[in-house]
Amino acid sequence: MSDRPHPILIGIAALVYLFLVVPLVIVVGAALSDTTYLTFPPRGLSLRWFENIFQISAFRRTIVTSLQIASLGTLFALMIGIPAAYALNRFRVELPRWIATLFVLPILVPEIVFGFALLKSLTVGAGVPIFAALLIGHTLLVLPYVVRVIGASLASFDFSIEEAAISLGSAPLKTFFTIVLPNVRAGVLAAFILAFITSLNDVSVSLFLTGPGISTLPIQILAHVEQFFDPTVASVSVLLMFLTVAVMAVVERTLGLTFLAK
Amino acid sequence: MTSRRFRFRNGAAGWALTAPATLAVVGLLLVPIGAVIAGTFMDPRGVFAPYLAYFNSGFRTTVLFRTLQIAALTTVVSLIFGFMTAYVVSRAPGRLKSLLIITAVFPLLTGVVVRAFAWLIILGRNGILNQALLALGVTDEPLEMLYTQGAVIVGMVYLFVPLMVLSLVGVLENIPRDVLQASSSLGASPFATFWQVLLPLAVPGLIVGAVLVFTGSFTAYATPQLLGGERQTVLATLLHQRAMVSFDWVGASTIAAIMTVITISVVLAMSHIARRINPMAA
Amino acid sequence: MVGRWRNPVAGMALVLTALSAAPALAQNKTLTISWWGFNGDKLEEIILKPFRAQCGCDLVFETGNNADRLNKIKIRGGGGVDVVYLTDSYSQIGIQEGLFRPVDRSKLPNLDGIHEVARAPQGGFGPAYTIGRVGIIYDTAKVAKPITSWNDLWRDDLKRRVSLPGITTTAGPMTVLVAASQAGVDPYKNEKAAFAALEKLKPNVVKNYNTGSELVNLFSTGEVSVAMAQDFTLAQIQAAVPTARWAELSEGDYATLNTVNIAKGAANPDLAHQFINFILDPKIQQTLAQRGVDAPVATAVQLTPEEASRWTYGAKMISSLKRIDYEKLNAAKSDWLDAWSEVFGR
Repeated sequence: MSDRPHPILIGIAALVYLFLVVPLVIVVGAALSDTTYLTFPPRGLSLRWFENIFQISAFRRTIVTSLQIASLGTLFALMIGIPAAYALNRFRVELPRWIATLFVLPILVPEIVFGFALLKSLTVGAGVPIFAALLIGHTLLVLPYVVRVIGASLASFDFSIEEAAISLGSAPLKTFFTIVLPNVRAGVLAAFILAFITSLNDVSVSLFLTGPGISTLPIQILAHVEQFFDPTVASVSVLLMFLTVAVMAVVERTLGLTFLAK
Repeated sequence: MTSRRFRFRNGAAGWALTAPATLAVVGLLLVPIGAVIAGTFMDPRGVFAPYLAYFNSGFRTTVLFRTLQIAALTTVVSLIFGFMTAYVVSRAPGRLKSLLIITAVFPLLTGVVVRAFAWLIILGRNGILNQALLALGVTDEPLEMLYTQGAVIVGMVYLFVPLMVLSLVGVLENIPRDVLQASSSLGASPFATFWQVLLPLAVPGLIVGAVLVFTGSFTAYATPQLLGGERQTVLATLLHQRAMVSFDWVGASTIAAIMTVITISVVLAMSHIARRINPMAA
Repeated sequence: MVGRWRNPVAGMALVLTALSAAPALAQNKTLTISWWGFNGDKLEEIILKPFRAQCGCDLVFETGNNADRLNKIKIRGGGGVDVVYLTDSYSQIGIQEGLFRPVDRSKLPNLDGIHEVARAPQGGFGPAYTIGRVGIIYDTAKVAKPITSWNDLWRDDLKRRVSLPGITTTAGPMTVLVAASQAGVDPYKNEKAAFAALEKLKPNVVKNYNTGSELVNLFSTGEVSVAMAQDFTLAQIQAAVPTARWAELSEGDYATLNTVNIAKGAANPDLAHQFINFILDPKIQQTLAQRGVDAPVATAVQLTPEEASRWTYGAKMISSLKRIDYEKLNAAKSDWLDAWSEVFGR
């Protein structure tokens, strides 16, 4: 089997990408339309709906909040999730089977009930401040993506390399960062992207965890579309695409995770 | 000396590393949700009264099976097309691979409102697809594609193929090419190589993808509502109605409990099958 | 010698500091408002800035839709916010759940300047600050015969052309009332007949919408030509479909009142009363109406015919609207939810 995939497979992948891209073209087109309603093809081209995002103070505020929550939530999830993913693979024999299912629970439970439960027990029951409760909700929400996706990458990692390094005198922690992690680069990046996007887009968990003074972008958009039916929603989606690419570029640069090296 | 250190590490280290995440999930998820679901068992009419009341309705049982069907079909379609796409992406040269992965992610960033609009443009009565079909003379009248189960599945597959691709790319990249080359040089047909070598090695990624896609589509609310309308009511719709219209949290939590039991069962079943194929999988 | 001088000076300094601190302490009052969150910038300019100057207080907002905000207030036991904006169907739920406190009318002198119907729409609780209506919008280019009655929704020429509001929206439960009157029954006493009428309407319905933006998209892409909708959507539907019109219905439209209430656990009830009185001020109402924010309830507001065309405005129009008994409706809603799903869910 040669290195290049069979032409039929390439053809199918191309069709899948076409399927994924066509609605995106519609979204971008609608965002640029110089009309007060969503339409495609666009009638006249204008950037006013992009400007509109920044003119609405509620959007400006909540973009910042959403980015903060997504970044911190993903960071915390990585901090507790990577060790867990590592342990699930390395100590597979010693740990009970159900531990893996435990880390997947957040996505098994309907989000709106999760948000409601957290509001009741954290905010009302324990007096946890709103931002903290929102952050906790988002961290747990994205944890399954981190544990499972990185775990899947680690499943095909040969741990004997790590053992060899350690038996040669390398400190365990250093070995983890220099030997293990670089080999699952793709998995970590994929997990980061999934987690970040999930948090950025989330509505159901945030619905109950936002409160006086604190709201997220998707919730604010929901409020906006109750009254205004203009292309701002489309331009926000395009803006989010740009933001995500920017964030991913920064992550690739700073963490040295890059696909180009492979 | 090395083996003694490792033996000590085995038990304690495993627990220590998973401790923060375990505590987080138990304390901040299990306990709060457990409290909410415990509330469903305290109905004065009887311990299981809300659950019996749920299944008492033919309509609600239909909704349950419909949701299962949609989730199953979405998972299967996403698995097949996601696997093929992820394989091609994993074999792509550097720059192109980055571009393909970023593009795969964009569908996840479109808000639900504007995505529904995009599908309206494509599948609607005056939409692109209908206009093409009419122009080609395939049909005389516009087809009603929206507000069917097919439309819902298309809309969900749109969201979940990217998820599948991202889950699989990392795993497929790590499968050494020489393993596959060795298989074919030993005389295995391409199909045999795929079925007996590639597939089992990819199972860890396939399972992750399948779990994420199944649970995501099973608990989905916005997409079925916008693309399916009320004819395609799913469990999440019923849950939202109870919570947001009737303010009936016992009823909503009952549905949530039923949904969670189903998703856990399916996930456990999938993990079991995966372990059969590849013991390292789950 | 120095010591004896120090005490009075120190004493005076202390008193002066205390005096200057007192207004600062009073200024730290924060009013928490629960509202939808759109139009934030216009409201900031027209209401919030002048109110802040008047009260010297801070304003904090909880934003979201009716259902999630009311749910949150309920989970917090009636607290967390001071002033609560809701549509009347949801404020009725709030009243029934004991989440609001009655308003002290002596603190709301501006009540005398608003339409009778808005003063006490829900007993001793909050007034309405704006009024809207639910009627039928249709595309005159696609529907040849004009629509003049609610019963026209059942017409054969409207097959697969209609969209109704989903049961979870503000206007949703009104569809049951419309169906009941078409069947000639009381919806609260004979819901079976009302829903049978809805079942007969089903062949005409393409899809039920849940948000205004969904409705506009359905109209602009030609998916539907007739919809039961709220008046504030008309202007934006017309932008996309210039031939769309508000139907003149012989039976009349339904009134929707947006109310403002004070939460039971409000931290600043006096400030809350001040705020409510402020938004009923005719000058404020005039500006809000002219700037396209809300229809006025203050009788002193004067609008040109062009300005008035988009609003529910004028004593004559307001008195012609049908009112809904939300107590009865909310009691029936749970059953209607199930019956609705059975009709449209198949």
